[in-house]
Amino acid sequence: MRRPRGGARTNAIAALVLVAIACIAMLVAGTNPIAGFAALARGSLGGPHQLAETLVQATSLLFPALAVAFAFRAGFFNIGAEGQLVMGGLAAGLVGAIVPGPGPVAIVAMLAAGALGGAAWGTIAGGLRARFGGSEVVATLMLNVIAALLANFLVVGPLRAIGAESGETPSLALDRTLPVLFAGTRLTIAFPLALLIAAALWFFLARTVAGYTLRAVGDAPLAAARAGIDLPRMAVFAFAISGAIAGLGGATIVAGVLHRFNVALSPGYGFIAIAVALVGNLDPPYIVLAALGFGILQNGSLAMQSLAHVPKDAVTIVEGLAIVALAARRSIARRTA
Amino acid sequence: MTRPALELRGIVKTYDTTRAVDDVDLEVVAGEIHALCGENGAGKSTLAQIATGTLAATAGEIACTGTIGLVRQHFELAGRLRVWENIVLGREPQRGIRLDARAARTRVRDLATRTGLHVDPDAVVETLAIGIVQRVEILRVLGSEPSVLVLDEPTAALSPGEAETLFATLRALARTGTAILIITHNLADVLAHADRVTVLRAGRVTLRALAAQTTTDVLARAMVGGELPALPARERAAVRERLVAHAIGTTDGGLRDATFAIGASEIVGVAGIEGNGQAQLVDVLAGMRAHTGTLALGSDVLVPGNPHARIARGIRTIAGDRQREGLVLAWSVAENVVLGDQSRAEMRRGVLVDRGARERRARAIVADFDVRTPSIATPIAALSGGNQQKIVVGRALGFAPQILVAYAPTRGIDVGAAALVHARLLEARNAGVGILLVSFELDELFTLADRLVVLCGGTIVHACARADFDKTRIGTFMAGASS
Repeated sequence: MRRPRGGARTNAIAALVLVAIACIAMLVAGTNPIAGFAALARGSLGGPHQLAETLVQATSLLFPALAVAFAFRAGFFNIGAEGQLVMGGLAAGLVGAIVPGPGPVAIVAMLAAGALGGAAWGTIAGGLRARFGGSEVVATLMLNVIAALLANFLVVGPLRAIGAESGETPSLALDRTLPVLFAGTRLTIAFPLALLIAAALWFFLARTVAGYTLRAVGDAPLAAARAGIDLPRMAVFAFAISGAIAGLGGATIVAGVLHRFNVALSPGYGFIAIAVALVGNLDPPYIVLAALGFGILQNGSLAMQSLAHVPKDAVTIVEGLAIVALAARRSIARRTA
Repeated sequence: MTRPALELRGIVKTYDTTRAVDDVDLEVVAGEIHALCGENGAGKSTLAQIATGTLAATAGEIACTGTIGLVRQHFELAGRLRVWENIVLGREPQRGIRLDARAARTRVRDLATRTGLHVDPDAVVETLAIGIVQRVEILRVLGSEPSVLVLDEPTAALSPGEAETLFATLRALARTGTAILIITHNLADVLAHADRVTVLRAGRVTLRALAAQTTTDVLARAMVGGELPALPARERAAVRERLVAHAIGTTDGGLRDATFAIGASEIVGVAGIEGNGQAQLVDVLAGMRAHTGTLALGSDVLVPGNPHARIARGIRTIAGDRQREGLVLAWSVAENVVLGDQSRAEMRRGVLVDRGARERRARAIVADFDVRTPSIATPIAALSGGNQQKIVVGRALGFAPQILVAYAPTRGIDVGAAALVHARLLEARNAGVGILLVSFELDELFTLADRLVVLCGGTIVHACARADFDKTRIGTFMAGASS
C-alpha cells in the first residue's frame, strides 16, 4: 500500500521523539530547550505580525507540497518542485515586467504565466518519463539545476534589456502586486488561493473520473494499464499539473512577497515541500495542516536564533529527521502489510 | 504408532473478537502426506504459520521433532536476484569469505534434478512466470532438508504436469521419512496423493478421514458446510463466430501462428502447461501487447496495443495475477468494482464519479456472487482470495461483454468460490458471451469448455470439440506431441 495510514498513536510517539531530539540538539548547541521552544512559539505565533509571517511561510510551502503530493498520488516522485517553482516565478516576473495593462489584469497574467511556466518545466520530466520510461527522480533533480542556472543566466544576461540587474527582474509596480489581506503584513490573497487549490485537488482526486484514474495509476499501475488507462499520458498529465501548481506558487512569491523575480527566490521550498507532502499523508486537508506546522518551524526558527541563540539549523535537523522517520514508517508498513 | 513428527494440541488463535483457529488438534507422522483442506478464511494458513512458528498461538501446545520448512503461498523471493541466489540464500557455499557461485549453481542443479522441479538457475526471478517462481520457492525450502515440510497451496500456481511431478517428489520425500503437511483447495489432489485429510471450517475441524475412504463430495460438504452452487445446464446454441484470430504471433516468439475463433455462446478452453504462450495470448486479446497477424471482432479489425479500445468494444479480461493486475489492493470493494468501467456513461456523471451508481454496482456484485465482505467500504485487501476473485469476475461480466478472456480464473480459490465462478461463466455463455478460458486444470476445462485448443511451445498443436475430450490424448499434446 502506497499510503499507509499510520495510527494516531504512532504519529504522536513520532512527534514526541522529534521534540526530544530537538531538545538534545538545543542542549548540544548550549541553550535551554524550554527557552528555545518559547522563542520558537513567540516568533511564530506570538502576535498578529508573527502569525501573518507564519502563514506567508506556510503558503510558500503549501503550493509545492500540493504539487509533490499530486505527482505522488499518480505514482511519481517529483523532486523537481523546486525547479518548477523557479520557472513559474521567472515567468511571472517577466510577464509582470513587460506586459502592459491595468494592475488586476497583470496580476492574473502573472499567475497564469507562473502556472504555465511550471507546467512546461514539469511536462519535460513527464514527457521524458512517458517516452523513455527513465527514472523521474533523476530527471526532476537535474531539471532543478538547469532551472536555477537558466534563470540566473537570463536575469544577468538577456533580461538586462528590460532592466534586470544583480540577479533580479525589475521591481513590480505596487498595483501589480498581490492584494494584502491585513495592512502592514506580507500576507496576501496567495494564502486563500493555496487553500482553494488544496480543496480543488481534494475534490479532483476524490470525486472525478480523471482523479480516479490518476490514483489507479499510482496505487496499482499494472491493474490500471489493464483497465484501459493510458500510463504514458497520465505521466505527462500528472507532471504538467504538478508543475503548474508549483509554478503558481513561484508566481505568488514573486507577486506577493518579493515583488520581483530574484534568483534566490526559494530557500529550498520545493525540497521541504516533499516532507510537508509526506507528513500530510499526500492528502490535501492534512497537507494544509502540515504546511502550517512547517510554517511555524520555518518562521519560528528565525526568532529562535535571534532570541534564544539556537542556530536555526536545529530546525533543519528536525525537518530532516521527520523525513527519515516517515521514510522508515513507510518501509515498515510495507513490510508488515 | 510412532510419535508424530508434528503435533498440535488445542490450538486457538484469536484476532480481536474473531477466532481464526478454534481448538484444533492435528498430528502429522513421519512418512505420511497429510492434507489440510478448507475454504479461504477457514484458518488453514493461520494454522500453518502457528505450526511453523511464524505466528504465536493464543492457546495450545505444539510439539515437533526436528526442523520444519514452510513453502509459503505468497512467497517472498528477492525478485532482482537469480534463481540459484534465492535458493542458496542464507546457506551460501563459501570459499574463504567469497560466495562460491559455481558450487551453489551445482547444488541448485542437483536439487532440481533430484526433485524433478526444473528451473534455469541463472534466470532472474522477477522475469519468471508465477508457476516457475512457485517452483523456486519449493526448491528453496527443500534445500534445507526439513523433517517436517509444510506446503501452503503449493499447486495453486502449477500446471497439472508440474503438480504431478511435485506430488511424486513429495511421495519420494515421504518415503525417506519426511512428514508432509499440505494445505490445499484441490480436492482431486487430496484424494489422489494424500494419506490422511483434515478439513477445517471457520477455524474448527469438521472432518478427519483417510483419503482412500472419502470422496470429493464428502470433503466439499465438510468444507462449505452445505451444498455447492450447482452448474446451470449447458444450453445448446447455434455458434456464430464473433472473434477471429488469424496467424497471431508475438515478437518474443512466445506465441506463434495462432489461428482460432471464439463464437457467441461458446467457451473455448485453452489447455497447456503454463508458460507455453497462454500469457501472450491473453495479453494480445486484452490489447496489452503488440502482435503480428490479425484480430477481428465481427467485421472490424482490432488495432493492437490499446486495452481501452478493447474494453470499449466489450472484450474483457480476467488477468492471471488478480492482486497486481486485476485489483487496486489499497482501495475499497466499491472503488474496485468500476476499474475498467470508469469512463462508461453508466458509471459517471459528466466528469464526476457517480458514487451512487458505483455503490449500487458493488452491492449487486456482492449479492450476486455471494461475496463475503463486512461492507462495500472494506479494503479489498482484507478479503480472501476467493472473494477478491468473485469481484473480478463480477466486474468483468457486469456490462454483458462480447468476449470474456479468463486466465486461470479459479486458481488458488476455494471450492465454494470456484464452483460459483464456474456457474457464472456457464450462465454468461448461455446468455451469449463468447469466452476464452485458459486453465491449467483439465477437470475445469472438461467441465466448462465447448471446444479445446492445446497450446504447446507457443503454437496451437491440437483442437477438439467437447465430444472428443480425452484426458490422455490431450495430455500427450500438452507434453509436446503434434497433431
